[in-house]
Amino acid sequence: MTQTPTSTIDGRTTQALQATLGAEHAALWCYSLAVAFLVEPQQSQARRDADVHRELRGRIEQSLTQLGQRPVSAQPAYATPQPVTDPASAARLAVVAETDCQTSWRALLEQTTDRGLREAGLKALTDATGRGARWRAVVGATPVVPVFPGRP
Amino acid sequence: MAAQVGPRLTRRALLAVALLGPPLAACAPAGPTQAQAPDPLIALADAARADAALAAAVIAATPDLAVRVAPLRDARTEHAAALDSEVARQARRSATPAPPRAATGAATLDALRRSVAAAGESARQAALDSDARRVGLVASVAACCTTYAAQLG
Repeated sequence: MTQTPTSTIDGRTTQALQATLGAEHAALWCYSLAVAFLVEPQQSQARRDADVHRELRGRIEQSLTQLGQRPVSAQPAYATPQPVTDPASAARLAVVAETDCQTSWRALLEQTTDRGLREAGLKALTDATGRGARWRAVVGATPVVPVFPGRP
Repeated sequence: MAAQVGPRLTRRALLAVALLGPPLAACAPAGPTQAQAPDPLIALADAARADAALAAAVIAATPDLAVRVAPLRDARTEHAAALDSEVARQARRSATPAPPRAATGAATLDALRRSVAAAGESARQAALDSDARRVGLVASVAACCTTYAAQLG
């Protein structure tokens, strides 16, 4: 076969990968806001979760660059569904961030048959479900573990 | 499972994206040659039913665990129904849900944790090869099961 390596990943896949990058950008922004309002031990948890998103974001950007795509940039700010004014609303924002990430990772899985991306997407979806479950427990959402994480 | 899909593997997996070969559509496993193989989602649905039955048995044996285990029982019941529907859709026939089973083996929290962890790994493996239409469902089942397994650990 003489096709270039990038032919494995088609336009729909890179578009979905850009969408997951957008969700990771948004999650990082959400955590930076939430940390300002959370108290311990949730504040440390938020910092740890943000670290994971930061690393994930870097990997997606690197992958897109390798695919010859320019990674989308973060927005300067994001609209929160509800005002963040206290620890409870900050934890709810973390739930929103993780839920959005789950949705985008599941959508990516539906746009690719590439095995490496499927592996990475499954790991990312599962990890986001675990983080989301911790925040759902903090805010008292039930069930703590969504039955179908990432389902739009 | 954690050792198998640690961050190192994920990094490799993502970085490997650009290094992989030509499009896989021509050699995708879902071709007619495998039409005779049983639908892999049947086993996932059976595992979901078994987990639901085991969770119910755990609650019956230790009612104090109901708060922790009932959501898992309900989730696995929903998984079974959704997987049955997908199997039926692909086979172009109406869903005929299998009867709920009685749990076999010791109805302990640890047995339930091991069972749901194994189900999560089976679903993860199945999701790697699922077609676009069903991969989302299978991936969600995998994520849910793996998260419950970690919670019960």
